[in-house]
Amino acid sequence: MPTAIFTIARSGLTATRRSLELTAQNVANAENPDYSRRILTQGELVMTGNIGNNAQDSLGGVKPGVIERAESSLVQRQARDSASALAAAEAEFFAMKEAESALETSGVYTGLVDFEAALTRLQNNPTEPALRLSALEAGRKMAGNFRIANGTLANARGLVQAETSAKTLTVNERAAELAKINADLVGAREGTAGRAALLDARDKALRGLAEEFGINPTINANGTADVMLNGAPPVALVTGAVAQPLATSFAADGTVSFTVGGTPFVPAGGGMAGRANALAEMADLQASLDSLAVSAITLSNTAQANGVGNDGNPGAAFFSGTGAGSITMVLASADGLATAPAGAGPGSRDTANLAAFITALGDPSGPITGTDSLLLSLSSRVSALETRTEGLSVVAASAEAELLRETGVDLDTEAANLIRLQQAFEANSRVIQVAAELFDTVLELR
Amino acid sequence: MGSITNSAGSFFNRSLAQMADLRAGIERTRTQIATGRKIERGSQDPAAAAQLRSVSRREALAQVEGDNAARLGQDLGAAAGEVQAVTELLQRARELAVQAASTATGSDGRRAIAFELEQLQQELFTRSNAVSLTGEPLFAGQSTGTAFTRDALGNVTYAGTPDSGAVPVAPGTEIERGLPGNEVFEFDLGGTPSSAFAVLGTLVSALQGGAPDPVAAANASLAGIDAALDTTNRAVTILGTRMAWVEQVEDQQADRKVALAERRSRVGDTDIADAIARLQQSLTALEASQSAFARVSSLTLFDALR
Repeated sequence: MPTAIFTIARSGLTATRRSLELTAQNVANAENPDYSRRILTQGELVMTGNIGNNAQDSLGGVKPGVIERAESSLVQRQARDSASALAAAEAEFFAMKEAESALETSGVYTGLVDFEAALTRLQNNPTEPALRLSALEAGRKMAGNFRIANGTLANARGLVQAETSAKTLTVNERAAELAKINADLVGAREGTAGRAALLDARDKALRGLAEEFGINPTINANGTADVMLNGAPPVALVTGAVAQPLATSFAADGTVSFTVGGTPFVPAGGGMAGRANALAEMADLQASLDSLAVSAITLSNTAQANGVGNDGNPGAAFFSGTGAGSITMVLASADGLATAPAGAGPGSRDTANLAAFITALGDPSGPITGTDSLLLSLSSRVSALETRTEGLSVVAASAEAELLRETGVDLDTEAANLIRLQQAFEANSRVIQVAAELFDTVLELR
Repeated sequence: MGSITNSAGSFFNRSLAQMADLRAGIERTRTQIATGRKIERGSQDPAAAAQLRSVSRREALAQVEGDNAARLGQDLGAAAGEVQAVTELLQRARELAVQAASTATGSDGRRAIAFELEQLQQELFTRSNAVSLTGEPLFAGQSTGTAFTRDALGNVTYAGTPDSGAVPVAPGTEIERGLPGNEVFEFDLGGTPSSAFAVLGTLVSALQGGAPDPVAAANASLAGIDAALDTTNRAVTILGTRMAWVEQVEDQQADRKVALAERRSRVGDTDIADAIARLQQSLTALEASQSAFARVSSLTLFDALR
């Protein structure tokens, strides 16, 4: 029957055109990282009619099936987990790098060494006003450098805290988005382009969440995703169409704590965990810096109390303050610098007290060695974080490549498809032409 | 659908990451060459950064110790110069005492000698209160006041401290700043404490007619002058030894400075030849990688379709 040939060819044209559309869609999204390539399934259409024992087949051509989306939940998960680990390491690395440059460039160590050197120079001639004044000013500079270090560290901490707050908003937005996608997915029909786009959006939202937290998603049969955040204890962020709000708060020492839907938890992965670690380490750094400042204050004031100044009076306190942020030089005059031991009288060139002070300052338990080991441990930590970040970025890059290999668009394949489908389209058109000629042949019978 | 595909996105990501790595390496090498420093942040090499810190502390202290040693050398030199002058002065006093002890010298002659001795005694007192270049007394020990004071009767007493204190000139090395005046001008004469001032003062007053027998007094003063000379000679020796010590320390400081600079350079400075070779290598790799990327990225089937 020529009409059947028309129908068959038309179904072929329709199926081919829809495949071509999908190919065009794939090519258009070749550089879209959130896009999963699609294919159109096809099915043969055969109609069979039965009357009694007589069965009659009627060929109907091809039936365009459903849009299938290249999917690999395992590889998706690998990519998410490695991205999560990388984000944690990176966030911690960048924050600690900031802290490192804050402490290194503020010159705490140089200030202490210059103070020590100025005091040593004073030993040469303890009554020379110029040397006394330069020792006093070196002390002022040292105190200033401590305050600068305190300020830059606070700055670095503030940046991390601001990022944490901003990312909290992002997480809440993504969780709400995922909840909405879940709601939409329930109503989306299987095999439609709309559903495939929703699934793409779902995976994108999951990847976005994984950057901030280690997540443990459950993909349900209807395609919706429930998200548990890894941590102690694990908490549910998104269940079906409901997203729990994430909230962050900062303690006085700068450390951060998280609650999801009111339940406190400690995250175990993702950028948020990295930032939380960095903030905890910065709190430790602050404590160490404060104790170094207190050590410098105590040593100086003890030395002052033990000796007498150029005027023969007992030395007044050199510094005031309770930490790196408040250390201030309070000694009023250079003559008040207690270089001589108690009872030496005015104008003494005895440097016994000064020598004891220098020894205490340079002692392995003193602030100079303390600063050196603080800087060494900090830079070792940052170096280790850098190595870890590099390693994890290789892992994450290969997981991402694997994911793209599974779900991404291969332009060569699409180009080949294009030719194949073009030929199929032409062939189907030719079939219509043949059918028309057949029909004309029948009509022209005389 | 075939399971092995070569995703376009993956290819571009990979290529870009590799080229970014090369570019970052080139940037770092360039910074190293421009700044001359191998390490910008401590975390690039924590151990080397710690070494650099301790080297810079050592350098700062070495600088101060070098200055201390130089000034100490000057002070010791000034003290030695004064003591040398005092020695010559005492030798002249001894010559005069010997002349006075000669019976051939008449009373006029003795008065003249007494006059010169008085001048010498004056000079001796001035020299005993000599000050350093920066105005500190040379022989007052740890005191900043004058070393010797003279009362109305002309009696000279030591007003400084018995100890002159030490200056650190190297790690663990301290050198005494000078000699206290009591070790230069005071001594023990026949069991009683005496001083160059006292000896000369007694002689002068004896020669000016304060003694019934000036010849015997002059003879008696010789022992005192000899003791004073012994004391100053000893002081010159001590000061000379300390100056030699300071010089030796300064030599060591110069050596150590070179060693520290070498160490700093070895740990923290860019090896220019090595860095430039690496830069060239990375540049070549980047160029090759870029042209390879350009060629490979044009190799899609679409380019073949016309």
